[in-house]
Amino acid sequence: MPGNGLPKRAAAVAIPALAFAGLAWLLGAEREWEIVTILVGFLAVLVVLDRTQPGRAVAAACRAERSVANATAVIATLVVLWTFREEHFALLMVATVALSATACVGLNIQMAFGGIANFAAAAFFTLGAYTAAVLTGHTALPHLLVLAAGGAVTSVLGLVLLLPVLRTRGHYVALVTIAFGLLLRNLLEVNDTFGGPQGMKIPAFAPFGFDFGTITSIAGIEVSFYLPYALAAAALFGMAFLAARCLELSWIGIAIDAVRTDPIAASTFGLSPARWKATAFLIGNAMIGVAGALYGMMNGFVNPNGAGFGESLTLISIVVLGGLGNLWGTVAASAVVLALPEKLQPIQEYRLLIFAAVVIAILRFRPGGLLPRPLRVLGSRDGVEA
Amino acid sequence: MRRSLTNALIAGAALIVAALSPAEAKDTVKIAFIGPLTGGNAAAGVGGRNSSMLAVQLRNADPKAKFAYELVPFDDECKPNIGVQVATKAAADRAIVAGVTHYCSAVGIATVDTYARFKLPVVVWGAILPDITYGNDYKQIHRVNGTMINEGKLAAQFLTARGFKTFAVVHDTTDYGKGQNKYFSEYLKPAGGEIVATFPVSPDQQDFTAELTRIKELKPDMIFVGGLTPLGVRVRSQMERLGVDARMAGVSGIMTAGFLEGAGAAAEGTISFHNGAPLSKYADGQAFADAYARAGFREDPDAYGPFAYSAANLIMDAVEKVGPDRAKITAELNATKGRPSLIGEINFDDHRQNIVTANVYVAQGGKWVFWPDSEYAAGKRTIAGR
Repeated sequence: MPGNGLPKRAAAVAIPALAFAGLAWLLGAEREWEIVTILVGFLAVLVVLDRTQPGRAVAAACRAERSVANATAVIATLVVLWTFREEHFALLMVATVALSATACVGLNIQMAFGGIANFAAAAFFTLGAYTAAVLTGHTALPHLLVLAAGGAVTSVLGLVLLLPVLRTRGHYVALVTIAFGLLLRNLLEVNDTFGGPQGMKIPAFAPFGFDFGTITSIAGIEVSFYLPYALAAAALFGMAFLAARCLELSWIGIAIDAVRTDPIAASTFGLSPARWKATAFLIGNAMIGVAGALYGMMNGFVNPNGAGFGESLTLISIVVLGGLGNLWGTVAASAVVLALPEKLQPIQEYRLLIFAAVVIAILRFRPGGLLPRPLRVLGSRDGVEA
Repeated sequence: MRRSLTNALIAGAALIVAALSPAEAKDTVKIAFIGPLTGGNAAAGVGGRNSSMLAVQLRNADPKAKFAYELVPFDDECKPNIGVQVATKAAADRAIVAGVTHYCSAVGIATVDTYARFKLPVVVWGAILPDITYGNDYKQIHRVNGTMINEGKLAAQFLTARGFKTFAVVHDTTDYGKGQNKYFSEYLKPAGGEIVATFPVSPDQQDFTAELTRIKELKPDMIFVGGLTPLGVRVRSQMERLGVDARMAGVSGIMTAGFLEGAGAAAEGTISFHNGAPLSKYADGQAFADAYARAGFREDPDAYGPFAYSAANLIMDAVEKVGPDRAKITAELNATKGRPSLIGEINFDDHRQNIVTANVYVAQGGKWVFWPDSEYAAGKRTIAGR
């Protein structure tokens, strides 16, 4: 459609910019009316994009001009981070949202691409943090390698689960992962080598000798020590995003999709369901582990509480709320699930009630999640329609 | 007509005087309160919040106060990672000069680094893990309530002095149960007692036939339970069923109305140890209870409410003396010695831990009775004679 390119591009710039402006406002908002306005505005924009003709056209434009939209998001992220460079709490929330979104990208590869219900995501996330704690505490391994090791260990321990996961289907996979999560948590609690129920302390992330815990200024400008963490977390999300996108677009992604939708048909075409499910599971786990390792180093501690079933459900609810298989959706949903309850602190004990109402409202009116992943049409010229 | 004009003039003059008079132009000083306001421990958290709120209200009503105070409550959900988030939020807010923080030990220990890094002086009001004060040397961390060391020490000395020499310990495997076991065993040896067997159990274990059968063979004088109410109830009632001829003592975790209801008649004569004294034992206890009722709080202050009240008062005393400056308040709090308060005299040791003596309670006629007031102490009933 020549001649239509410019407005399409404008829409692809405007929508992400608007979303990040909203996020920035939410992070900076202090008064109740502001938070309520943002919340109502957010829900209104969703309704407009979903239910009206021009709204749908704009949403389609964003999808068509994906690279423009993504570039806008990268610039908007940097602008937001720089705006909040001295705000410790806002940056901590940005980093937390980015890291859980990274973990949820991994979970998306497992659940949405591979069709494996992983109810032990938080256990694997915590495992990444424990790996970081042990490696930074007992070895002099460079911290960037510690992050990679967090992913590797989580992936390898995921192998333990592989056999039962491949031999079961549907609800039974969920049960196996739930059992694994409980097992891991109990093991960490009774095992004094890993600090028992109190957990372990982790030193600050210090790649190439830059100790993130002591940074107070960059190029002479005063910044919060959470700024480098937020940048690192955003970069990690960017890498996970790229990796997941490449995976999805490649023949590996097509094989994984085929195995999920119909294992029998896929195997008649020579695709081994076991092999591709295992691939999706291990790649997803590696991402969860890396995110967990950085989260642990940022918080400075890890304990078995984080491996609980409730925490795993939180991660799954982010994936479902964001729309199974949609990577930007995980960011929006992480912001709703993690930042919103924090922002509702002024109303104290009633805040989780409002939060729950918002979640129910979203799932009532958008059962597919905030930004559901559309069905892939492999016959189209682009190869993928996502 | 003329009267209303006069009234208006008087009101106007009063307003001007009020605005000019220095007594009314107080600066507002913000103090954070952090505790679990939602979830399983909300009763304790809300009680603590109300109590410290009461302290602030009473201070604001005092015309001699130099500042107006505002309590900013935060919910840590009893989760360490949420705790670090809200601690960062409170500590990064320059308007907040000090905090009354944490009921849950896991959260309390996770947040100490945050307070030290941001140099926010805090007074812990409920968490009893010794490491919060003794595991570091941060000048910012103070604690008004006792630790499980006090409870364990008193339990060992009190029980051996009553002629119980051999003990079987049943404790849960959380940090709470493990810590209680550790300090009780540590102080039992020098006191002349002996542990014949120790049984670590999961906090939700239902059936204790195996453990109790073994205990029955060993014939200890007493079974010591380190755990929370559900564990205490199960052990006590199953002791009865299996005919184990021993007495039972438990840590503060079983000193609840739930234990008396759950164990029924079998609860009679069970001994427990708690850092708090009954409100009526404090010199100002009645005044506190009356003021609490007058302020119209719907929830009970709970066992740790008086500690939260005293912590808030301690902080406000420091602010009155040295002004709203974090460093000066820290120095002032560090030097607290012989300060009268609702919970008795507050003396901080070299780790800024208040020196508290625990109290003994006994279940008598369906109530927890302060030991010195009980019929057991008076010799009318004996623990040995069931």
